[in-house]
Amino acid sequence: MSSLRSDPSSSRVHPAPLLVDHFDRLPDPLLLLIFNRIADVKALGRCGVVSRRFRQLVPQVDAVLVRVDCVISDDESASPAALSDKARNPFASFFQAFLGNIVKPLQALGLFPGAKRAQSGPSSSSSSSSSLAVGSERDGEMDQGGVTHHSPTQVLKNFNEIRFLRIELPSGELGIDGGILLKWRADFGSTLDNCVILGASSVVRSGPVKNLVGSENGTDAGCANDDNGSIPESFYTNGGLKLRVVWTISSLIAASARHYLLQPIIAEHKTLDSLVLTDADGQGVLCMNREQLEELRVKPLSASSASKRTLVPALNMRLWYAPHLELPDGVVLKGATLVAIRPSEQSGLKDMADGSWISTAFEEPYGTAARMLVKRRTYCLEMNSF
Amino acid sequence: MATSRKVTLLSSDGESFEVEQSVAVESITIKDSIEEGSAGNPIPVPKVNSKILAKVIEYCKKHVESAKAEDRVDDEDLVAWDADFVKVDQATLFDLIRAANFLNIKSLLDLTCQTVADMIKGKTPEEKRKTFTIRNDFTPEEEEEVRRENQWAFE
Repeated sequence: MSSLRSDPSSSRVHPAPLLVDHFDRLPDPLLLLIFNRIADVKALGRCGVVSRRFRQLVPQVDAVLVRVDCVISDDESASPAALSDKARNPFASFFQAFLGNIVKPLQALGLFPGAKRAQSGPSSSSSSSSSLAVGSERDGEMDQGGVTHHSPTQVLKNFNEIRFLRIELPSGELGIDGGILLKWRADFGSTLDNCVILGASSVVRSGPVKNLVGSENGTDAGCANDDNGSIPESFYTNGGLKLRVVWTISSLIAASARHYLLQPIIAEHKTLDSLVLTDADGQGVLCMNREQLEELRVKPLSASSASKRTLVPALNMRLWYAPHLELPDGVVLKGATLVAIRPSEQSGLKDMADGSWISTAFEEPYGTAARMLVKRRTYCLEMNSF
Repeated sequence: MATSRKVTLLSSDGESFEVEQSVAVESITIKDSIEEGSAGNPIPVPKVNSKILAKVIEYCKKHVESAKAEDRVDDEDLVAWDADFVKVDQATLFDLIRAANFLNIKSLLDLTCQTVADMIKGKTPEEKRKTFTIRNDFTPEEEEEVRRENQWAFE
């Protein structure tokens, strides 16, 4: 980073009348409109040091995007020693054994400086401005000793009036094998309100040649077998069911861990209207609207005993499956599975047939996939709280 | 085409522009004054000079025409057109912001503000000051303090 002090013009008045600060001609509300479109929180931080006026206005920005460089995950799940600790809670150890490699729930979020690791020297300028992308060296082992990191909570302390907050993790938490599609979207208040999970064992981008079978059915097009939407027997024996259970639990753990981490931010920013925590892979999206945020402030969440995440309540789940699902754009999802989840408590209140939250959970083309899947045979499951 | 009523807009420096009413009412300000019947003819547009008013009218015309076209492929063309439209010098750009704000043309305001935001985004503070000729009015002590506060943004 070029040094600040060497800027010679900073202490001189510009002699030429032609050099005008155009921002002077904009009233504060217009300047705020511009700042609200900058979104990236680091860019806004850099604005704050430009002039007194900018410094004063930046905290009033209402829309911010925080790109997290690095996540600190609970790496103890990988070490066998930790397993025995967690054996206090047999259910938890079941998860560790089952899921150990798949999900690394977040323990903390940090904005790590780009090139700096154990040194305290100045970081190189070229990497620092793009550190958000470059600095994603995720090292679960790293302890906080030699490296300074800034949590989103700290960074956001510089802003007082945020209404629209979007936080982006560098990647999804679920380390899945290549080829598998797994996406989740969860809405939370104090606890889980609903969650939709879409998975497929593989995704094939076929050419424009479409299956003629079923194409006359319009939206039913794409199920190659003339099945009645039922799950084939082999699914239960070839590991298909087990895999889907793993996907479901992993997604819920990831979602509830994210929710837990957001508490301090939510507590501090009472002006929030919308909070979205997503990741650069597009794997998981956690959303909270104004009512849900308020609910969390009023009714604190229950934490799960074993780890830093929100307790997942007892759940009702509906599952749909298609061995071969062809989307309108030619993409084929094999072993496509959709799971729609709601707390057991809630399902009595609202008619479960209201599926709009399911079909709008994902962006295209996955929204279409969801809509196609819900037409098939529904399987109902229940899960205990964990 | 149905009745294409025309209105006349008068810029702050006395130049008249005749436009279709459908184009003029892209500006909520003008729309309101027409509906309230308080607009004279020609409609005076104070604070906006002829050069800027001409550009604003050009923008509104293009967007009204595009909205009429059934073909949605035009969306990409429109985005490209918008990008070209804002390739102007800073003075004009900021004038457009003020005009869009005064005339209450949301899409133009969004476009111009986003353009300036994008110009600000990638730059270091020194570059920002240079590009926009902003005076650094911090005292050295203040500057150090604010630099420390925002250290996280520089790492």
